[in-house]
Amino acid sequence: MDESQTQPSKLQSVLSSLTTEGIHNAARAMTQMVGETFSVTDPNISSVKFRDIPEILGGPENVAVGIYLRIEGNITGHIMLIVPYNKALELADLIMGTPIGTTQSLGQMERSALAELGNLTGSFFLNAIAESTGAHIRPSPPAVIVDMVGAIMDIILATSDIFSEEVLLIQAKFVRNGKETQADFWIIPDHTTVDTLTEKGNPRL
Amino acid sequence: MKDSIPVGLGEIKISQDPEDILVAYGLGSCVAIGMADPQIPIAGLLHAVLPYNPNGNVSSSPKYVNNGLELLFKELISRNAHPARLIIRVAGGANMLNAPGFTQSFNIGSRNVEATYETLQRLKLKVTSQEVGGTIGRTVRFYVRDGKMTIRTLGNQEREI
Repeated sequence: MDESQTQPSKLQSVLSSLTTEGIHNAARAMTQMVGETFSVTDPNISSVKFRDIPEILGGPENVAVGIYLRIEGNITGHIMLIVPYNKALELADLIMGTPIGTTQSLGQMERSALAELGNLTGSFFLNAIAESTGAHIRPSPPAVIVDMVGAIMDIILATSDIFSEEVLLIQAKFVRNGKETQADFWIIPDHTTVDTLTEKGNPRL
Repeated sequence: MKDSIPVGLGEIKISQDPEDILVAYGLGSCVAIGMADPQIPIAGLLHAVLPYNPNGNVSSSPKYVNNGLELLFKELISRNAHPARLIIRVAGGANMLNAPGFTQSFNIGSRNVEATYETLQRLKLKVTSQEVGGTIGRTVRFYVRDGKMTIRTLGNQEREI
């Protein structure tokens, strides 16, 4: 895993800071939703080649959870969050306030909880793009996909040629009421989204 | 002990060792197409990502269904496989985004399957068996010895098609 991680470029730094804010924003919104302090501590952000994701997750046949948002409006694109399956179970417990280890499979309720976390994180990212470009964009409702890692990645590959490119790996600790879980997940914006941030004179660059 | 040979995204793997199994792991909208002539024996598996190459045949790549099938077929024939003896099996092409509002614009799985049938028809080849479409990922194994294909999906037993 160490070999596949590299120092982030300037653009990656912008994406990283947006992502960090996005996660904190999601945590704040979660706090309001669950009525208890929900926080994220020291997210560590690095970049990983898209093609290395399956190996990091234990192979393309292993199970993961993908949370997918399409960007609609005068910019179109998408954002995918990929979380390893066991971590998704822990996150669901945390969001629903049940002891870590309670959730053993993802039913409708657990999927909605994860969709909301993805939605809050992704929407923040999109808001930042909208603010910096003046574009009118909105996220689609999130789609939650529980399947083999390879199959989830196909969704991205079907529309973007990013096989050899780098995506953001976020390693963050989610805390609620003394309970915590460490979760690794990937945020994969497409070319349109990334280009928009660079082309339109983003003040953070 | 049989040898598993992984076939990655946009790859073709061909083997003449009857002990070999060609494997495409975690197919979503991608398609895996296996061709085998057990009399040689020889078998190849294509793991294609997109239906048609936008550049035609100028920069042929097995990433595309149409190019990949032509490359695979040509290679098998050059190694003495006989078109009439070919066992051809097709798997994958799922539409992974089943949520409302996504299906229409993201039917890449269905388009991959259509491209497979159109290309095979153009090459005058017939499909022996298939398992395509649906909304879930598949791992596909193709056996060089006899051209058998098995499929595994999440939470299910491996089964032959």
